[in-house]
Amino acid sequence: MSEPVVTEGDLAEMVEQVWVSYLDPEGVSPLVQNGEVKQPTEVHSTVSITGSWHGHLVYASSVQAATRAAAAFLAMEPDEVGQEDISDVLGELANIVGGNVKAMLPAGCFLSLPTVVLAPDTASYYPAAERISGLYGTWAGEPVSISMWQSVKQEASA
Amino acid sequence: MVIDDSRAMRMILKRIVAKLNFDAVEAGDGQEALDLLATMTEVPELALIDWNMPNMNGLEFVTKVRAEPRLREMTLVMVTTESEQSQIVRALAAGAHEYVIKPFTEGAMIEKLALLGLVPTGANS
Amino acid sequence: MTLSAADFAFVSAMVRREAAIVLAPGKEYLVEARLIPVARQVGAASVGEFLANLQRRPNPADQRRIVDALTTNETSWFRDREPFSALTDVVLPELVRTRGANRTIRLWSAASSSGQEAYSLAITLQENLPAGWSYEIVGSDISTEMIKRAEAAEYSQVEVNRGLPAAQLVQYFERSGAHWRITPGLRRNVSFKLMNLTAPLPAMPPFDVIFLRNVLIYFDVATKKSVLRNVARLLRPDGWLFLGAAETTIGIDDNYERVAAGRTSAYRVRSAAPAGAARKG
Repeated sequence: MSEPVVTEGDLAEMVEQVWVSYLDPEGVSPLVQNGEVKQPTEVHSTVSITGSWHGHLVYASSVQAATRAAAAFLAMEPDEVGQEDISDVLGELANIVGGNVKAMLPAGCFLSLPTVVLAPDTASYYPAAERISGLYGTWAGEPVSISMWQSVKQEASA
Repeated sequence: MVIDDSRAMRMILKRIVAKLNFDAVEAGDGQEALDLLATMTEVPELALIDWNMPNMNGLEFVTKVRAEPRLREMTLVMVTTESEQSQIVRALAAGAHEYVIKPFTEGAMIEKLALLGLVPTGANS
Repeated sequence: MTLSAADFAFVSAMVRREAAIVLAPGKEYLVEARLIPVARQVGAASVGEFLANLQRRPNPADQRRIVDALTTNETSWFRDREPFSALTDVVLPELVRTRGANRTIRLWSAASSSGQEAYSLAITLQENLPAGWSYEIVGSDISTEMIKRAEAAEYSQVEVNRGLPAAQLVQYFERSGAHWRITPGLRRNVSFKLMNLTAPLPAMPPFDVIFLRNVLIYFDVATKKSVLRNVARLLRPDGWLFLGAAETTIGIDDNYERVAAGRTSAYRVRSAAPAGAARKG
């Protein structure tokens, strides 16, 4: 298979930009990559891309990391953060990364509004898609990942 | 006026414009913003507008505002994750004055507003 | 390991002096986190060792690294705006009057860092020179890494958000994967050279305009004098020198005089000395 349209390096750069803009403006608490594809995550935020390319971008993290992200965005204390805050902030995070990813895909793609699910594991949501790149790591010790999934054509599936 | 379907993004934008002494009203999509504008006696000086929103997207909102003489003085800034060159060209052609791509830092947003003459001197530090 | 109080005081005094930024006590963790990569880059074992070496033997390159690391390091496009307006409103109209014979203008962006200033100058000239004129811009920096970045002319999303009008982003850049790259048409007129401003400068044809902004602040008075003397040799007798807002030649080098240029000031070599004549050092 050829080089994916969006590489791990591209995702890493977007993550850095999102962190410096919203989650860690002082530059003291980066996402530390660990490559742990199987680390447990409980919050999944997805935007779908359709048009000339089909697939999804998934932002996944633990509840603690999601709470921390929501607190940073909303300028709240972590113990004030509710489920709706998490859903809103993680939705926006997937939207931001997804929009930037879309600009790297063939012209004529559309971005869906984000969907946020608070439930473990991600793979089962995309039975007809395969992961083409992903960034896995921890933020303040808590698991966070960003991955790109491409829809598998019907005839190609076994 | 801050128009974005994400409450978190509206909050970030409100925090930034508050530093420049703007009072902001919020709307969650283009239609809500138009409805709100219809009730306002004083037209806001500035609108920060997301692109992808339910009901009415930001591009449609810009087009509608530009067609409305009463709203002619409003400065329109797209603040969106849409980052293809062609999309920026579309938004400017529709009548947006500036375009800020998400993610943006607070400093970058203030610099963009300064380009539009909306930052009092001395506030940009 | 956290920074000692003395190291923190040393760094915060430097940043206050050179960037007018106040690091409140309690930001030790921030200074430490930001300086770890800098210490690694210069080959020191720790931030403590790096700062100890620097206090023993001050050097502007490392000081600049520290200031850059602690003052969000993205350079803005058209930084400070005013010098670029002065170029458009005052300097270029004059040069167009006086350079009619060869219709070409040379500019130098000294200490060009990652290239934003040099390319901002290119955009300004591209948009304001009459048809049939050409321009050449040279950027210089002391860091090979910065020269490479400036030559690559690729900028991240966050970098192109800084002070660059959207209309110019779509006109002078093209998408290149996750980045934005300056168009070949603009890059053609801009080149970069490795250069140490405090050492004897390489031979170059003289410039009509020199941007030497936020550079002198890093040097002591003797070095400032020698940099200004070196630069004067590369400035055409009727050329223009732009310094940073907090910098001046006054009291350092009397060969220059300050002149108003739009809403800012520029420096010109005093006209008393005829072009080409030896000037007092």
